[in-house]
Amino acid sequence: MSSAAPSPADALVTRRTVAVLGNPNVGKTTLFNRIAGIRAKTANFPGTTQEARVANIVRSNDGRRIESTLIDLPGVYSLNLDLSESRVCRGVLDGTAAPVGEATHIPDALLVVIDATNLMRNLTIVAESMDRRLPMVVAVNMIDTARRRGLDIDAARLAECLGCPVVLTSARTGEGIDALLDAVDQARIPSRSAPSDRDGIERWSQDVYLNASAPLEAAEYDTITDRLDRAFTHPILGVCSFAAVMTGLFWVIFKLAAYPMDWIDLWFGNLGAWVAGVMPAGDIRDLLVDGVIAGIGGTVIFLPQICLLFFLLALLEATGYLARAAFVIDRVLRPFGLSGHAFVPLLSSHACAIPGIMATRAIPDRRDRLAAILIAPFMSCTARIPVYVLLTTILFPGRPSMQALAFTSCYVLGAAAGLLSSLLARRTILKGKSRPMALELPSYRVPDLKSALLITYDRGMVFLKRAGTLIVAISIVLWWLGAYPKVSPTDLPTQPAMAETAEISHEPDDSALARLQSRESFLGRIGTAVQPVFEPLGYDRQLTIGVLASFAAREVFVATMAVQVAGTEDFEDETVLESIENAKRDNGEPIFTTATSWSLLVFYVLASLCLPTTVVTAKESGAWKWAALQLGWMSVVAYTGAIVVYQVMSAVGG
Amino acid sequence: MTAFDPSFRPETPDSQQPETAPVPLTQLTRGQRGRISVSGPETEDSSVLRAMGLRPDASIQMCRLGEPCIVALSGACGGGCRIGLARDIASRVMVHLDD
Repeated sequence: MSSAAPSPADALVTRRTVAVLGNPNVGKTTLFNRIAGIRAKTANFPGTTQEARVANIVRSNDGRRIESTLIDLPGVYSLNLDLSESRVCRGVLDGTAAPVGEATHIPDALLVVIDATNLMRNLTIVAESMDRRLPMVVAVNMIDTARRRGLDIDAARLAECLGCPVVLTSARTGEGIDALLDAVDQARIPSRSAPSDRDGIERWSQDVYLNASAPLEAAEYDTITDRLDRAFTHPILGVCSFAAVMTGLFWVIFKLAAYPMDWIDLWFGNLGAWVAGVMPAGDIRDLLVDGVIAGIGGTVIFLPQICLLFFLLALLEATGYLARAAFVIDRVLRPFGLSGHAFVPLLSSHACAIPGIMATRAIPDRRDRLAAILIAPFMSCTARIPVYVLLTTILFPGRPSMQALAFTSCYVLGAAAGLLSSLLARRTILKGKSRPMALELPSYRVPDLKSALLITYDRGMVFLKRAGTLIVAISIVLWWLGAYPKVSPTDLPTQPAMAETAEISHEPDDSALARLQSRESFLGRIGTAVQPVFEPLGYDRQLTIGVLASFAAREVFVATMAVQVAGTEDFEDETVLESIENAKRDNGEPIFTTATSWSLLVFYVLASLCLPTTVVTAKESGAWKWAALQLGWMSVVAYTGAIVVYQVMSAVGG
Repeated sequence: MTAFDPSFRPETPDSQQPETAPVPLTQLTRGQRGRISVSGPETEDSSVLRAMGLRPDASIQMCRLGEPCIVALSGACGGGCRIGLARDIASRVMVHLDD
């Protein structure tokens, strides 16, 4: 509760918590972002998938210093629904729930944000808030849009009806924000009361609405919105526009992200080279260069794609288009037991399953959401691309059109396996039909750039903190497994041919040592031990090590293979790629036969080779059993698929 | 400024007219208006719909037919509120047609 601090120096300081409440799509978060800006951080509610944005703001008012903690609660139509977001809001208002990092207590004031263009329905949550008998302020947001539509709202009259301060605001133009902050400082318990039963609230809200605004009973038919809606949800036109928007989105992500990704790659490469140059040779240097710097670089390199994805999705969502697209895709996903809400998460998973799984928070139904989380890693993420590039090049050398076809087939195979898995899950462990959609279609708007940038910053930081720490830890463990126990040049078998070459150059000597290291290290020994499991898939010891290393993160496959065959990690070098293609098994036969390459490609499309994804799945689904199920199921599907492909191809190929 | 009168009850144009038998929302033609009839048994879905604005006596207009159908809650909310409904849901919402 609000309290002045005990020490005399702080006597004029007031600390308090203000809960920000409102319906979805009322511009609540935009308003919050305008007040809080970059000071806001996102925090989860423990044990739920709901999140809130929290910000501390400090203001001076009449010589008083007011430190407020604003909590932007999830958007709800009513506090009294049996939905996760309503429960969270009720918990905060009851003083039984708080976002992680905040103390649990009843808020000192409520800021209820309502939509000026949709006043009557929004008054429901106002009535429910008034019932709490807490100091409150009502912000009538989007007043600019309401005025444009000829709708006038009398703030003074509304304030009189509610018995608490009312401020007309526009989060987009900034109108009324200062007045709102002043009003929040002077929030008071409403002097009037509202009914608490639903029928009573509905009658009351109609009365208040008609008293405080000039009602438009026969609202003009909104032809532009109507035409756009009909086009965007049309069975054919809607699908075409959806395909066009998504192609554009991905094109921008892949095209634009390539530049910062190259810079990051180069920068970390240079940093590694610099550290390697200034530090004396030894384990610490190797740990820093091959473990820490390579690990951080390998994480940060995905940041541009993730930021771009969230930035563009935030813009697209703010235009109002995504709600329409959800309906279009709902028709496609429904037969597989997924709802249209799953489309953004599954789409995001094509960049990276981690933000995709995080984006499933928008799916209201728990079983729909679990199904989407389980199949998200089947979507071909960008980390698979290096493997696809390597294998399609090996399979179709010098035939770019066939490479492109094989590449596309990988995406189709992944998506199909995901949809069929969802169908299977919805018939067995997640029985029940997916919840039919009822979705508010927000007005079409010009998106707010600042809000989109804040969302991007937020998501980027979440990614760096969550995946970053883990990937770095894995990289260090992998480095250690690959680097120990150390072999020395004296362990090299003395071969006359090798000795001759060594006289000309030390290079072959180094690479022979690296190959020996890769065979004799812990990782190499594990590979030798596990290889029989992958024998039916056509993988030798070196491929087995590549696959095992990929269980941490699949993008390390190409680098791991490069280390093993050439003793260098620079796989962008053409000769290194060639040396992987021409790599030999321990018995001298080529590693990458046609059957092995196809088998490997199918394995990489279908397998869940990404430890961070498994961890995020466990976190988001709330239980490790779902993560274990996902990993187990995908491994079984991938293993079976790869066996079938290898055995059939071997039989056909003779 | 006139004080707020809590007993004030606005007369809506349709409340005086004899009501026709309610029909499922899916039977409305494009552009047709109606008023939501008192809904049937309370379910989890129906309370969500009601909270979204599909409350008894709310004025509703059909904007797009099919799957999804799109309705505008015109009188209720100043013309700004559009809701997309899967056919499953729309067929369970009963509406009195306006003349």
